[in-house]
Amino acid sequence: MDMLITAAYILFFPGFATILVLGLVSSWIERKVTARVQYRKGPPLLQPFYDIIKLLGKETILPAQGSRFVFIIAPLLGFMSVSLVGVILMLQPLLAVSFVGDLIVVVYLLTLPSLALIMGGSASGNPLASQGASREMKLILAYELPFLISVALVVYKAGFKIDLQSLPAGGNMVSISGILTFIVVLLCVQAKLGFTPFDIAEAETEIMSGPYIEYSGPLLSVFKLTQSLMLFTLPVFMITVFWGGISFSGWNILWFALKYILILVLIIVIKNTNPRIRIDQALKFFWGFCSVLAVIAFVLAVIGRWYGIAWL
Amino acid sequence: MNVDVTALLLNIFLPFAAAALLFLVPKKLKLIPEILSFLVTLFCLASALRFFLLGVQVRFTMLLFSLGNFEFAFDVGTTSLNTFMLLFTAGFAFLISMYSFRYMADKEKRKKYYIFLLTALGGASGALVSNHLLVFLLFWEVVSVSLYFLITTGGKGSREGATKTMAMIGAADGCLLLGIGILWYISQLLYLDVITLSINSWLSALCFILLMIGAITKAGAMPFHSWIPKASEKAPASVMALLPASIDKLLGIYLLFILCTRIFVLPQGLLLTLMIIGVITIVAAVMMALVQHRLPHLLSYHAISQVGYMVLGIGTGLPLGIAGGLFHMLNHSIYKSCLFLCAGAVEHKTGTVELEKLGGLAKAMPVTFLSCLIAALSISGVPLFNGFVSKWLIYQGLISGGHGWLLIFLIAAMFGSALTLASFIKVIYSVFLGRTSDVSKKVKKDVPFTMQLPMLVLALLCLLFGIWYTLPLNAFINPATGAAPAVIGSWNSILAIILLGGGLVIGLFIYLAGRIIGKSRTGRTFIGGEELAAEEARVPGTDFYNSIRDIRPLSAVYNIQARGALDPYNWFGKLGLWCSGLLKKIHNGILPLYVFWTLLGMGVLILLFIL
Repeated sequence: MDMLITAAYILFFPGFATILVLGLVSSWIERKVTARVQYRKGPPLLQPFYDIIKLLGKETILPAQGSRFVFIIAPLLGFMSVSLVGVILMLQPLLAVSFVGDLIVVVYLLTLPSLALIMGGSASGNPLASQGASREMKLILAYELPFLISVALVVYKAGFKIDLQSLPAGGNMVSISGILTFIVVLLCVQAKLGFTPFDIAEAETEIMSGPYIEYSGPLLSVFKLTQSLMLFTLPVFMITVFWGGISFSGWNILWFALKYILILVLIIVIKNTNPRIRIDQALKFFWGFCSVLAVIAFVLAVIGRWYGIAWL
Repeated sequence: MNVDVTALLLNIFLPFAAAALLFLVPKKLKLIPEILSFLVTLFCLASALRFFLLGVQVRFTMLLFSLGNFEFAFDVGTTSLNTFMLLFTAGFAFLISMYSFRYMADKEKRKKYYIFLLTALGGASGALVSNHLLVFLLFWEVVSVSLYFLITTGGKGSREGATKTMAMIGAADGCLLLGIGILWYISQLLYLDVITLSINSWLSALCFILLMIGAITKAGAMPFHSWIPKASEKAPASVMALLPASIDKLLGIYLLFILCTRIFVLPQGLLLTLMIIGVITIVAAVMMALVQHRLPHLLSYHAISQVGYMVLGIGTGLPLGIAGGLFHMLNHSIYKSCLFLCAGAVEHKTGTVELEKLGGLAKAMPVTFLSCLIAALSISGVPLFNGFVSKWLIYQGLISGGHGWLLIFLIAAMFGSALTLASFIKVIYSVFLGRTSDVSKKVKKDVPFTMQLPMLVLALLCLLFGIWYTLPLNAFINPATGAAPAVIGSWNSILAIILLGGGLVIGLFIYLAGRIIGKSRTGRTFIGGEELAAEEARVPGTDFYNSIRDIRPLSAVYNIQARGALDPYNWFGKLGLWCSGLLKKIHNGILPLYVFWTLLGMGVLILLFIL
């Protein structure tokens, strides 16, 4: 009975079906706001669902060159891993014990969707896809450094604990170092999502969608689903780890929704007000400015802990 | 002597006997080396398995020589630490010997290869079970000498790499001998099960540092790492898989482990030194690996980088970290030897190891591709593979230390993991994915079965130890360290794989639904509507990380390194040349000067005699 309830949680609410629907709704919000910013009307609410269903009816074209097995498995791998992370994060507040993994596991699992994109691009047998794949890998290297510094900061503030339940309860993220870290992680998440100014890997106008170029039909729909799930999962990860955690009791659901919408709005605003940058500029930006900011936040947190100043 | 002691002695000496026999067998008898090595390695594997499963503690002591307080005894024994290491040493020797049947079949130094493979196995087994430090050193040296000869079986040009290897490992073994001498001087004891020293004087610290240098040079940590890439240039891939990838790591980290936990009680400063060495090794080696163009060089630099994790884990001095370091040693041997064997298979089929020339081999060599992919995902630390579990334990060890500065090491180690992933994406893309290159077009089918089987076994072991990770932890690591460490995080790999399986089912359902509704066909790739010649349209993987190489502060470091200015081997070479240059100036061939020196010498002797 217990297992059935947990299985229902995982599959329906607040598990897989919920994050799928909310992910597609978030991608609609993003498209609508972007359209409004550009003085267009924007798509109706169900457009993302229509897109997925339309793609399912299209032909699957497999590339003549390259590895067919990896080409098909790669989008499925990305989809699997992001759904797992989403389920872990959403089920965490409901269960008393740690579910599947701790912070380190989630950080490693979050690299898998990008890895799946790279593998899919590599298996396409297309030089433009290879370019996209190499840019995506360099982007991962770029944002991993400040991201890891921020994660280490959270572990430090939480008193050297890494299971997802004790992270929000422990440290105090409403402090100067917390805000600086939040900004750094927001920029890293922008890169993880592949949104401007960091959509270097799938630059539409330069390399014709990079790794996605050979994908069509149901495989492309799986990739698009993965993108929507990432758009939902990453802000939820940010809230769980860097902004007080999620809770489903009473008014906290509203508070959670507000935090989520704020992060989504920030992401969309950054997306619409910036041009795309080059990969070497991205490397210098993340390894330079962002990492320095993250290190400053860390130093402030250490000083705050040593001298007992809570707002540092 | 009972069965157990006989089995132990046979485990050590049977390979030596077989090697001696092979010396006498004429080269014309074609299959004798292969058959003999197969039988001997199989016996050693079965015997080690028997020791491990029965859990017997055997001990054999034979006093050979004693002079006053000094005793030289052939003292060997199995403990919970060395039984599983013996098992894996024999296992690696067996698998690589099987791989070599076809890999070395047409090389002319076949017999020499098998002779020294067997001596390496015997030496490694002896070193792992010996309880007397000088016997340990003797067997350790046998492994080093076997490595020299094994590298020279690579044919022309391999002598340079073999000489550098012997010079660096030989110097490290000299440090080991000196360290053992100082240990004897301080404690008058040479038996491993009774020595316990605390570091309270500069002499004991020096002793530890000398022994540590011996251990980490063998394992291949910085700054004494440069023999591994040099050796990999010309040595056969199976030699690299056998010694530098697996057995050297097992021996080196075994020595480091017993140094840090059994022989010495280390103060914080020395532990910190170990951790710094570990972290610098992790990051510097993987930055080197990112820009390599040849597959063996790249794999060597990764072997060096992963040793950093082991040294870091053991250097924490905390139970989680030490367990993680030991487990990483085991996991690394498995996936690294698999990677080198795959590199050997690719070289066997295409004749080249240049990443620029390879590409698109996935269709022609599916088994090699699958093993290489699994091993590459393991070394990158992807969850559900064994590399992730040991790295996770090391990270927890760092976090459980409870100090802020330990988190700096954590960040560097996790970033090193991301860099490793980047490097292996480049490898998988350059060798197996991407468009088929001209060289790869000639490959029609995969390597023979006796070469495929070891790669598959190792890859499956990576998966097994990753998903069911409590098995190796409880069977191998916890008995060795003595206690199960209290894990502070959680990783439910069984639940994860069930959920991932569920996600895969849903994804497959979407894909197959689409396949049923729409159709599927194979089409030519779209490159902007143009028709490009095949080689023109190929993007080799070697240019992937030029953006990183060209970043201003890093490019200076890369250029300095490429000139060989960061290699201690070259420093000592220059120092030696300078010293001998001074002495050369004295020998200038002028007779009166020689007469002067002789008279001066006689005068000093007469003075000493009078006084």
